[in-house]
Amino acid sequence: MSETPDVVLQVEHLSKQYKKGVYASRDVTFDVKKGEIFALIGPNGAGKTTTIRMIATLLKPTEGDAKIGGKSILTDPAGVREGLTYLPDEAGAYKNMKGRDYLRFMAEMYAHTKQQADKFVADAEKICGLGDRLNDKIGSYSRGMTRKLLLARTIMPRPLVAILDEPTSGLDIINALEIRRKIKELASEGMSFLLSSHNMLEIEYVSDRVGIIARGHLLELGKPQELIKKYEADNLEDVFELVVMKKDVTGW
Amino acid sequence: MNKFLSLLKKELREMLTAQTIGMLIFMLIMMYSMGGLMTRSSEEAQEQSGRITICDLDKTEFSESVVEFLKQPTADMTNDVTVFELESDDYAAELNKLGVKSFVVLNKGFTDKIMSGEQAEIIYVSRMTSLATMSNMNVGSETAVQLISAAVKTALYTQKVNEGALTEKDALLLEAPVGVTEHTIVNDKSEGVSQLLLYSSLYSRSLFMPLVVYIMVLLGSQTMINAVSAEKIDKTLETLLSAPVSRLHIICAKMLAAAVIALLNAAVYMFGMNNLTIDLTGDLPDDMGEKLRNLGLVFDLKTYMLIGAQMLLTMLIALSLAMILGAFAKDIKSSQTLLLPLMFVTIIPFMASMFTDISGLPGTFKYLLYAIPFTHTFNATDCVLFGKTNEYVFGLIYQIVFLIVCLAITVKIFTSDTIFTMTEHGAGLFKKKKAQTED
Repeated sequence: MSETPDVVLQVEHLSKQYKKGVYASRDVTFDVKKGEIFALIGPNGAGKTTTIRMIATLLKPTEGDAKIGGKSILTDPAGVREGLTYLPDEAGAYKNMKGRDYLRFMAEMYAHTKQQADKFVADAEKICGLGDRLNDKIGSYSRGMTRKLLLARTIMPRPLVAILDEPTSGLDIINALEIRRKIKELASEGMSFLLSSHNMLEIEYVSDRVGIIARGHLLELGKPQELIKKYEADNLEDVFELVVMKKDVTGW
Repeated sequence: MNKFLSLLKKELREMLTAQTIGMLIFMLIMMYSMGGLMTRSSEEAQEQSGRITICDLDKTEFSESVVEFLKQPTADMTNDVTVFELESDDYAAELNKLGVKSFVVLNKGFTDKIMSGEQAEIIYVSRMTSLATMSNMNVGSETAVQLISAAVKTALYTQKVNEGALTEKDALLLEAPVGVTEHTIVNDKSEGVSQLLLYSSLYSRSLFMPLVVYIMVLLGSQTMINAVSAEKIDKTLETLLSAPVSRLHIICAKMLAAAVIALLNAAVYMFGMNNLTIDLTGDLPDDMGEKLRNLGLVFDLKTYMLIGAQMLLTMLIALSLAMILGAFAKDIKSSQTLLLPLMFVTIIPFMASMFTDISGLPGTFKYLLYAIPFTHTFNATDCVLFGKTNEYVFGLIYQIVFLIVCLAITVKIFTSDTIFTMTEHGAGLFKKKKAQTED
């Protein structure tokens, strides 16, 4: 697997087969460059989460490989984990912990020194914008507050790649907007993002490149505007419909 | 449309879950198994009380007639009487030689005492092998005294009536012609104390040691299953497992924390039960402590360490099993159900150890119980106090092997993707079609 210098995540022929003949993800290949926001879009059951979980070293691929910062998920999963953070879809946090304690706990997982952990926590406190509510138990937070806390925790160690699965699902418009802005802001500072969403309009707004995935296959890859032009569509949602409906996908 | 009926059906469907049905089946099996065990133990105790091994040191016509009367069947039972010759005062050696649990000695001068209108003493020697309730009930002394008294009464009455010389003194003696001096053997050591008194003095420990193990296993397992399932359901486990932290550390931290909580609970219960049981047992003779020490029935540092080693192993096995079971959790409700198998394999040896001497059970029962790793800890106090070294060592080795296997499975689950695939794709157990809809 060759790698260009600005590529931080390289995914090649990644497949996951749960039982013979049934692939949740098949032959998925793409890369994410430094400071890029890459989105995997697709309907429910398309294979987005399976692909993301393989990259996050949670699932072992049946075939293929992925590298983060040159480290392979097959041969050096521990090294891969040093370079990524992962925010699962509809994730929760430890309800009996206070927000600040949770950030400290997670910072200690990524930091090599106490000073570094302090810096991570200070950054996360700013990112989440929860103020004094960080002294309250997470169990008392609204869904939006919890999501902001988790997003802050995902971003604070400044990983090579932050993987966000449905980052704004279930959030109101204001909270979702705030999170999208934050993602764009951090990407402009050089952090790379791998997003997954079935909200096409959000992806069109936030991402630099998208991969359309359906039935485990990566069907299309490109910049949102290029794809819209290519398919002579009005928006990414139309592109998605055209791609998914027209492509002949085997192995389903 | 009967709305009430619809509501009732809905409530029944919600309440009559697999968990409820599982619990009912479990209770049925448990009660059936325990009933069988207790009936068997009770029958054995009954059979034991009718088995009398007797030595007649007096060797008079009267004492021989007493032995003959013992052999005669009564309305409700037939006694199995074996007569033997006592060769020494080493009662432990005599018991070993005879291969019986107890024997009775009619002392020299037995007849003289009776004939002079005094109560005659018999010696009752028994071996104590367990702290289990049934093993220490109906040990035989009372039955033996009753039977010998009845035999003496019959012999005395027949003789005196035949002689036409039944006096008022004789009539008084007939009320309680025989007294008993009891000796109990523990690990080939003998003390002049009754087995029942020994059991009473150790009652508190015999009661709360298994209880502490039971509480420890269940609370530890419950804590662990809740912890693992909550992490899975809230997806905090995905966050943790994708972080740069050793997965072994994640497992060890969880197990240690659950063990601390379980031990804390056990300590509180132990303290409470200790106070409670001391009150229940009441006052014991002043020299009881010395007699217990002489028999080796003391809970010293070595005893605690040996029992503690098995308790620790049991705790680790339970936590490891709970981690494996917790990984199957799909939601909070299912996490509660997952405790059932552990409850099942804990409560059976717990109850068995309380009522019966497990090592004395027949083969199938015994080996089925021994296959449950927790049994060895419930049985540990008996093994340590009553010198069942082989059983203790076997139990310890079995528990270590079991723990290694459990830990290997736990580590395998947490270090591979099994933790995420075993419920969703059930490792072939549940939801086989889910792979197709995996997002």
